[in-house]
Amino acid sequence: MTVSLAVPDILVARAQAGDEEALEALYRAFETPVYNLARRMLKRPEDAEDVLQETFLEVVRSITQYRGEGHLWGWVRRIASTKALMRIRRDQIRATEPLDEEPGKHGMHIGANIDLERAFEQLSETSRAVVWLHDVEGYTHEEIAEQMGKSVSFSKSQLARAHARLRRMLDVDAGEAGGTHA
Amino acid sequence: MMHCTMEDLGALRAGEGSVWARRHITTCASCQKELEALYQRVAQLKALPALRPPRDRWPAVKAVIRAERSRKRRTWRAWTGSLAAAAVLAGILLMQPGQSGQLYAELSTAKQQSATLEDSLQQYDIDGRVLSGHAAAVVADLEDRISAIDGSLAQQRQDVQDAQLVRLWQQRVGLMRQLVNARATRARYVGL
Repeated sequence: MTVSLAVPDILVARAQAGDEEALEALYRAFETPVYNLARRMLKRPEDAEDVLQETFLEVVRSITQYRGEGHLWGWVRRIASTKALMRIRRDQIRATEPLDEEPGKHGMHIGANIDLERAFEQLSETSRAVVWLHDVEGYTHEEIAEQMGKSVSFSKSQLARAHARLRRMLDVDAGEAGGTHA
Repeated sequence: MMHCTMEDLGALRAGEGSVWARRHITTCASCQKELEALYQRVAQLKALPALRPPRDRWPAVKAVIRAERSRKRRTWRAWTGSLAAAAVLAGILLMQPGQSGQLYAELSTAKQQSATLEDSLQQYDIDGRVLSGHAAAVVADLEDRISAIDGSLAQQRQDVQDAQLVRLWQQRVGLMRQLVNARATRARYVGL
């Protein structure tokens, strides 16, 4: 999803002064991209809603720290992705995150011609986060590693593993190509 | 025949493939097909429709903002009042020897502890961070109780009861300690 939202400087200035109408206008401008980002990264819709709320609370509390360097969406997105990653990390602390579902479970089998969106939803939250941040949002592996508190090689290997899983779920001929491709 | 791994393909997509992978991809139809499929998947991911929030969360955000602003105003007013009350009390106690001197010492200690805890609280700068629902409820409850004590302290201006004032400050120190612990625990939990 490409976001090219331009927010007038005057609106930002009013929001920084605590104007509630301006803050709501910012919320309305960014609620869908923030929710979409969180929802793509997290499995549970209610978690994505919580991230949406947490993100805007932080936006409201920290808007005075935004100095207009870079697009406002980049600043908001950074907060949102941090919140989503914190939630993934918290869940991993509470209970070991299950490995990516292998094809064959939940009615899927190798070669099943499911669509990409459904296949993507089968990935673990960590894999979803890396794929979405890298491939869609355009984050570098270095940025992802920093935000996740992991190494660059972790980010790269997560991305490769996630694509290998997506390929297996999507491609009928996946097992027949020979060699690796995994 | 050896083919590219998914990591090789990802590196090729990023223009960072190894010498072997870059050479191999020019001659291997299977790997070319895989690389093209990778490009296609990424393009499809980017083209997925935006998911919209099922409910409007702005009312909840607005309610929290208003509650926080109200709490900050209350605390500020109470602090202003309690500082005035403390100045009056100090003036009175300085002129009274004996038991009053003991109360004055206890009051000074409690106020000093309270100030130290306020400083500690700044280290966790929680306003810029978001708490879980449970942690936020605990913190909000503690802050409300501290605000209530601050309100009582402010009212003492009219009727200075030495022992009661000391007790209120000591209660405030106890609650501040719990608040600092709650925020420190949260900060450790999220690895800050």
